Amino acid sequence: MTDLLIIGAGLTGLFAACTAARAGLNVRVIAQGAGTTHWHAGTIDLLGYLPDGRQPVANWMQALGRLPPAHPYRLLGAASIANALDAFQQLAAAAGLPYERAAASIDSPGPSAPSQPIDREDDSRGHFTDIAPGRNGQLISPVGAGRPVFLAPQAQLAASLEDERPFLIIGFNGMTDFYPALIAENLRRQGRAARSASLPLSRLTSRRDHNTIQLARLLDQPAAQEKLIEMVSEAAASGERIGLPAVLGLKLHTRLLAKLNQASSARDRRKTPPGSPLQPSFSLFEIPTLPPSVPGMRLDASLRAQLTRLRVRVEIGMKVCGVRASGRRIEWIETETGSRPLRHTARNYLLATGGILGGGIRGDRCGRVKETVFDLPLTAPQTRSQWLRPLFLDKRGHPVFQGGVPVDTRFRPLGRDGAPVYDNLWAAGSVLAHTDPIRERSREGIAIATGFAAAHSVAKGQ
Amino acid sequence: MSQDSPPDAAMQSVLPNSVGISLNACIKCNICVSYCPVSEVTDSFPGPKYAAPQSERFREFGYPYFQDPAGSNPPAPGRGRVPDASVDYCSGCRVCNEVCPTGVRIAEINARARALIVAAEGLSLRNRLLGRSDLLGRVGSVAPALANALLHHPLSRRLAAVLFGVAERAPLPRWHNETFSRWLKRTRSRRLRSERKVVYFHGCATQYYEPFVGMAAVLVLEHLGYEVVVPPQSCCGLPLLSNGEFSAAETYHRRNVAQFADYVQAGYPILGASTSCTLTLKEEAPELLDLEGDEGTQALKRNTWDIFEWLRERENQGQLPADLDPLNSGQEPFILPYHAPCQLRAHRIGKPALELLALIPGLDLRESHARCCGIAGTYGLKSEKYQIGMDVGAELFDFVAAQADTSDPAVQGSVSFTACDSETCRWQLEHGAGLPSRHPIELLAASYGLYDLQARQPLNEN
Repeated sequence: MTDLLIIGAGLTGLFAACTAARAGLNVRVIAQGAGTTHWHAGTIDLLGYLPDGRQPVANWMQALGRLPPAHPYRLLGAASIANALDAFQQLAAAAGLPYERAAASIDSPGPSAPSQPIDREDDSRGHFTDIAPGRNGQLISPVGAGRPVFLAPQAQLAASLEDERPFLIIGFNGMTDFYPALIAENLRRQGRAARSASLPLSRLTSRRDHNTIQLARLLDQPAAQEKLIEMVSEAAASGERIGLPAVLGLKLHTRLLAKLNQASSARDRRKTPPGSPLQPSFSLFEIPTLPPSVPGMRLDASLRAQLTRLRVRVEIGMKVCGVRASGRRIEWIETETGSRPLRHTARNYLLATGGILGGGIRGDRCGRVKETVFDLPLTAPQTRSQWLRPLFLDKRGHPVFQGGVPVDTRFRPLGRDGAPVYDNLWAAGSVLAHTDPIRERSREGIAIATGFAAAHSVAKGQ
Repeated sequence: MSQDSPPDAAMQSVLPNSVGISLNACIKCNICVSYCPVSEVTDSFPGPKYAAPQSERFREFGYPYFQDPAGSNPPAPGRGRVPDASVDYCSGCRVCNEVCPTGVRIAEINARARALIVAAEGLSLRNRLLGRSDLLGRVGSVAPALANALLHHPLSRRLAAVLFGVAERAPLPRWHNETFSRWLKRTRSRRLRSERKVVYFHGCATQYYEPFVGMAAVLVLEHLGYEVVVPPQSCCGLPLLSNGEFSAAETYHRRNVAQFADYVQAGYPILGASTSCTLTLKEEAPELLDLEGDEGTQALKRNTWDIFEWLRERENQGQLPADLDPLNSGQEPFILPYHAPCQLRAHRIGKPALELLALIPGLDLRESHARCCGIAGTYGLKSEKYQIGMDVGAELFDFVAAQADTSDPAVQGSVSFTACDSETCRWQLEHGAGLPSRHPIELLAASYGLYDLQARQPLNEN
C-alpha cells in the first residue's frame, strides 16, 4: 500500500517525494498537469522582499523575525530551512545539476570551480566559507533588473550584480521574448558597464520558428555548440562577462558552459597584453527567459530522474474529482478519467497543488475562494471586493494572494477550530497561508523547506 | 440527458461545448509547447498553444459544422473563417492535454479545427480511405494472401506513394488469413460458457490484422472464469475523427451505441485491448461529436474499460489467478521495454499494464518515458508526415536501443520484444526499433501458459 500519495508535481511535490522516499516510504505522485517548475527561473529564492519592504532582503536568516508569526518560515525556523536546503543541494548535485550560493560567486573569485561535491561530514553550513549564512546574492532578471537569489544553478552564477565586471548581453535575431538591448540599458541605468549584441540564429539552424526549448535542444548537439562558441567568441571583448538567454541545452548545458568559459579565457589570454593580470575565467552566464523556462525544466527533469531511481511513479493528467473522508481520516481520493473516476488509496496524503497560479486555489465570480482538492478552510477573503487593493503594483501585495491553507507546525491543515482537520493529510508549498511566495520571492524556498518538513512529519508518524 | 424537443439548428450552432469552452482556461504558460513532440521536430506545426487555444478564439466557437440558421443548406465558410492548414500537422497524440496544468482540451480543439477544414474544402481520397479501417480490413480479408501480395509489393508501395501520398516505407499491417470473428466461430465449441460475462470490443486491427491479440484477450478472460461475448460491432470511428470526417464517425458511433445498448443495460463491462478504440468510446466520440448529452453514449462511456484497467480491478479484488510463469526458460532475465502509448495515457488511468506485467516472475520491465512513437494512428503513414513521425519516435527507438545495448556490462539478459498497448504504435515501434512488439495481453496470456508469444497463437488449440 502507498504510504504517501502526493498531489502536485511542482517543486514542492517532487522534492517532498524524494525526501519521503529516501526516508523509506512508499510514495506516489499524481498531478493534473506538469508542475509550475516549467515557469521557474531555475534559481532557489529564499526570501527576496518582506511584506512591507521596498528594499530587497540582504540576508534572509536575519529577516525571518520580521515575517508574520504564522508565516511558514516562522513555523520552521532557520535551522530547519537550512537543513532542507542542504538536502536539496545534495540531491541536485547528485542529479548533475549543482546549485551554489548566489552570493558566493564574488567571495570566491577566479575560476569558480564547478562545484566539488560538498563534504557532508562538515557542519551543515560550514562549506559556505566566508559568506554569511543567509546572505542573498543579486542576479539579473529577464529585463536586467536586480533579483535577490539565495541558491543558483552554476549557469547563472556569473550574473552577480555584486561583481564589477562589464556585461555583454547577447541575444539572437529571430528569438522571441528576449531583448538584449533592453537588458543592457537597464543595467547601465543601475550604473553598470553593459552593451548588447544580437547574433543571427540562421548560423545555428535553418529552422525559422524558435522557442527556448527548441533552441536548448538544438544546443545539445555538438555541431551547434561549436558554432555558438565561434559566434560568441567573435562578439566578445576582453574582460567582459557574457549573458546569454537560458537556452544552452536541456541535457548537456554544463558541458557547453564549460566549453564557452574555456573559449572565453583563451580569448582573454590572447587579447590581454602580456604581463597584465588574468581576468577570472568564469565569465559566462544564462539569463532566465519567459516560459517555457529551460532552467526550470532542467530542475524538473533532475528531480524526476531521481524519483525514477527511487522507484517513485509520477503520473500526470490526473485531476482530483472526489474525496472520501471518515471522521478525521481521508479514506481515498478519486481522479477524473475518460470514463468512471479512478480511486487512489494511501495511508497519508500531501497536498502540494500550489496557489492560484498552480491551480491549488481558485476564486469564482461570486468572490468565493476555494482550495480545489479537499475544500479545506482558507484564510483568503471570501468577498470579491476584498481580494485586491486598488493599485495593481501595491507594495503590500493583494490579500487574495496571501490567503491559503493554515497549518500546524507538523504541516497538517487546520480547521476553523484551530485543530488539524484530518490526521493523515498534510500540506506544503504555495498552497499555504500567510505567505505570498511570488511577491516575497520565496517560492522555491517555501517549496523546498515546507515540502521537506511535511515529508519528514509523515515519515515520523509511520 | 434526452430532450423532448431538440434545440433548433440556430441554437445548436452557438451552443458551447466542453472542448471549445476549455480554451478559456488557457493561461498561455507554454507548457504544452515545451512538450509537443511534433513542433519540436518540424516548422510545419506551430505548436499546440498557437494552433489550438490562441487560434480557436478567432474561429467559429468550437463547432465543427457550419450551420446557417437561415437555411438548411449551409454555405461553405468564407475566406478567413477556415482554420489555417497548419493545424492538420497536429498528430493528435494528446501529450499537450496530458501536461496542461489548467485542463485545456488542446488536441480536441485541433481535431475540431481539422473537421472545419474538411467541411469547407473536402477530403483527399487518401484520407477518406485511411479513415475507413473497417472497409479496408473487410476488402482485404476476402483474399488476405492476395491483398498482402498486392499491398506490400514494392511497386504498389511506390504507386501508392506517388498516387495517394501513402509513405513508401510507412509500417502498414498485413491481413491475417483468418479474421477474429471467424476464429471465434470456428472455436465456438471450446469457448467458455459462464454466468459471469464480459463484452469484448475488438476493433478493426484485431478483427482483420491481429486476431491473435483478441485470442490472447479471450484466453486470459476465460482463464479468470468469464465468458466473452463478442456482439456484432462497428469501427469506433477514430480514424475518421482524426481525419476530420465527423459525420461519418457519428454514424459509426451511433451504430455502436445501439449495438451495445442491451449489454450496457444489463451491466456487462465492455472491454477492449485496443486502447485507442476504448478511448474513442469513452471520450473522443462523445466530446468531438457533441454527444456528451446523449444517454446511450453516456452509458457506453461509463461501461467501457481498457482491458488492463479492468484486470487491475480484478487484481485489487484478489480475483486474478496467480499461476503466472516466467516467460524465459534459461537463466537470462527477460528484459521488456514497455511503452504506454499516448492514447492509453489519454485515458488517465495510470499504466495498468505496467502494474500487472510486474506480477510476471523474472520479467525485467523497463518503462519508457518517451512522449510518442510518432505514428499517431494514420498520421505517420502519410508521405508528408512520415519523416515527422519517425523523428518524433526517435526518442522511443533510442530508449529501446539503450535497453538492448549489449556493450553495456550492466545489461544482463536479452531484449527479444517490446510491449505496447496500441496496434499502430506497435507497428511503428517494430519499424523504428527493429524488434517484434507485443500487446501486454499477449505477454500475460503467455505467462498463464495459454499462448505462444513467438508464433502469436493460442497453445493447445488452433
